Amino acid sequence: MRWPRFSFAVVAVFLADTGAAANVQVKVVDHKGEPLQYAVIALNYSGASGKAGRPDRRAMDQIDKEFVPHVLVVEKGTPVYFPNKDDIRHHVYSFSKPKEFELPLYKGTPAKPVVFDKTGEVKLGCNIHDWMLGYIYVVDTPYFAVTDASGKAVVANVPAGTATVTLWHPRMNEKSEKTDRKLSLTVDQTASLNYQIKVRKEYRVRRAPRAGGRKY
Amino acid sequence: MFAARPVQAVESTSRPWSGSDLAGIQEDEMPLHFKSFRTRLLVLFLGLLAIVQIAAFLIVNTATTNSARRQIDSALVTTAESFRELLKERTGSLLVAARLLSGDFAFKKAYSTHEHETILSALNNHRHRIGADMMFLVGMDEVTIADTLHPDQHGNAFPYSDLITTAEENEYGEAATVQLVDGRPVQMVVVPLLTPTPDAWICVGFNIDNRMAQGLKEISNSEISFVARTNRGRWMSAASTLPEQDIPDLKTALERNVWQANASTIFSQSGEHYVSLVVPLEKSANQVLAVLQRSLDLALAPSRQLSLVLAGLFALGIFLSALAAIAIARRVTQPVLTLVKGAHRVRDGDFEHPVAINQQDELGELANSFNTMMTGLAERDRVRDLLGKVVSMEIADELLSKDIELGGEEREVTILFSDVRNFTKMCENRSPQEVLSILNAYLTRVSSVIESQGGVVDKFIGDAVMSLFGAPLSHADDASRALRTATGMCAALKALNREFREQGKPELSIGIGINTAVVVAGNMGSQTRLNYTVIGDGVNLASRLEGLTKYYGVPVVVSADTRSAAPEFLYRELDLVCVKGKTAPVTIYQPVVCDPGEESETIAEIEEHHLCLRFYRDRNWDAAIEGFTALAGKHPEDHLYQLYLKRLEQLRASPPPADWEGVFTFSEK
Repeated sequence: MRWPRFSFAVVAVFLADTGAAANVQVKVVDHKGEPLQYAVIALNYSGASGKAGRPDRRAMDQIDKEFVPHVLVVEKGTPVYFPNKDDIRHHVYSFSKPKEFELPLYKGTPAKPVVFDKTGEVKLGCNIHDWMLGYIYVVDTPYFAVTDASGKAVVANVPAGTATVTLWHPRMNEKSEKTDRKLSLTVDQTASLNYQIKVRKEYRVRRAPRAGGRKY
Repeated sequence: MFAARPVQAVESTSRPWSGSDLAGIQEDEMPLHFKSFRTRLLVLFLGLLAIVQIAAFLIVNTATTNSARRQIDSALVTTAESFRELLKERTGSLLVAARLLSGDFAFKKAYSTHEHETILSALNNHRHRIGADMMFLVGMDEVTIADTLHPDQHGNAFPYSDLITTAEENEYGEAATVQLVDGRPVQMVVVPLLTPTPDAWICVGFNIDNRMAQGLKEISNSEISFVARTNRGRWMSAASTLPEQDIPDLKTALERNVWQANASTIFSQSGEHYVSLVVPLEKSANQVLAVLQRSLDLALAPSRQLSLVLAGLFALGIFLSALAAIAIARRVTQPVLTLVKGAHRVRDGDFEHPVAINQQDELGELANSFNTMMTGLAERDRVRDLLGKVVSMEIADELLSKDIELGGEEREVTILFSDVRNFTKMCENRSPQEVLSILNAYLTRVSSVIESQGGVVDKFIGDAVMSLFGAPLSHADDASRALRTATGMCAALKALNREFREQGKPELSIGIGINTAVVVAGNMGSQTRLNYTVIGDGVNLASRLEGLTKYYGVPVVVSADTRSAAPEFLYRELDLVCVKGKTAPVTIYQPVVCDPGEESETIAEIEEHHLCLRFYRDRNWDAAIEGFTALAGKHPEDHLYQLYLKRLEQLRASPPPADWEGVFTFSEK
């Protein structure tokens, strides 16, 4: 993809708020200025990470032949279950580098979770439903959030200090977009970050029709 | 419409017929215009027929050609539509086949190995499944991952990037184009490889080849050729159902650029005409054309047969018309020629053989009229012959030439009377038959002399003949003719007398009186019986003059009027007389015929005689006697001089009264 480079403004507002952890709120729009959902914001602190111990188990549901949530962010090492809520089988697979795996046709929840121990983007598909697409984004930090439909997200209760803020979106070009930022946070500060990024075109995939309308 | 050449051709071909058909009518005598009449009839018949036939032929031919062209045009348009549909469907099928691969999990797994050989063999495997000619796997960065055509090459830029560009613009990331691969047209589709998001492009290519063309031909019933534009702008045939030898002509026709896309044109290929529809293939950037063709000649084959039948009918029509024209010409010319022969016979005086034409048409009527005319002419001829024997031929003609009615016209006529002297005395002691024989012989001779001079025998009165010069036909020299007749009659009589002498018959002598006068000429008599003659004083005078010949002892006596009407003759004045029944005196003359060489002597004697006459009229009796005595001495046989000497002696003895003017009065005829 040959997206032209473009400049964007980063506005960081530092608010004096002592005695409590800091918050970071972000707003992400695409190159047309439209709010961008499913953008992942993560804060990485150099040195020791904020939380210790094994991360909690997480789940990537399959409901109505869709992955729910569409984008799941997990900390490195998180075991993820793939509960099948439909009454048909699914065949979940990933050919992505951080985690190649395959859950051949199954019903219910496979007993063994899939542990994501490398950071990066894992694209999930279903072998028998071409349109089913989900992402698991593996980060090495407990401080992250996913933008909602309005393109907004808040990473709450982050420690003060200097953090590297990273941004990821399923359709962004990671090679050409330079979105990493250094952010110095003070206690009780709520920092606001605005991003405008270029995203790839999303190709449609034909979906078998079902009752109640069409959705891809 | 017809130049001279075809007419001549018709005429020359008609010659052989004329020989056999009209052989019996002596072709040499045939007037030229009959030939041309027949020729004209032939040319007219054949010309009209040819015009009608050629017009019909052209109309039919044009109509059938146009209709065939229209049918082919509409068939080709339909074919082009179904052809486009077929291509669309084929594209759809290709896309479906490609999509199956794009969702094929086994292939995705193979792809995820990122092993070139594995991916290539998986591609080939799938290519065989769907019967594609080539497959490519291309990365999203447009770098070739695998190429079944060139298995060794990968990692290069994909050469058909516009295909990918087209796909990127499509919402499903799919595209179908006609691409030139190694210069050959290939129907190519591209779909994204979904893992599950697009991770690479799968390109599938199907050659547009003879097999495809053949398949389309079976459906569309039209010849189909696919041509591709080469780099140098020429056209190259990629696939065709046409025979091999037609391809160069097709390329030439395309390169001549006379065609328009989607409009039919006629291409001539190997001498055959094809109605051609050029359909640029969609999504080939006009680099590939489909040429749909149907043979016009093949479509016209049934109408060609019709044309052949028409040509045959045409020839037959011409032949029958020629026969009909000849028959009609013959039916007309043969009777006409018969009539011409009949007319020639009539001209030559043959009224015995009527023309035989047994036809109930106008020509038959003409022949009947001709025969009736011929009968009439024969009748008239007979009447004329008979009339000519009764009256003279000229009078017969005069009578026949107009309505015969009583009455006449005044005209100047010279009347000649002749009479045989002492005829009554001669009749004594002879049988009537002998007399008639002598008289007929005489009258025949003099009649012929009269007629030879253009005179008309008015009537025979016993031995006397009255003849006319100037009626019914007049000549400028009628008086001269009468005088020549008189001379001729004397000569004829001399010859006749010689014959009579030899036969022991009596010799005849005649007297002739000639007078020129204005008389009434016409038909005289009653309504039922009449004859053509002349009446008047002049006629009587001529008769009286004839009567004087014996008295004066001369063969011919003419009046002064005749003399002045024929002045070229030599005359001797005889006397100044007063004939019986007339009071006015008339000078009478004797025409003198000189023997050759004695003209001057004769003229001198006549001068002498005229001098003596003057002495006589001047009462110079002695001089007159002396003169006449001298003349009588020279010509003792001349009765005139004796007559005057005797008369002078009496006058000298008893001179006449003072009012005497030298007129001698006759008291009897």
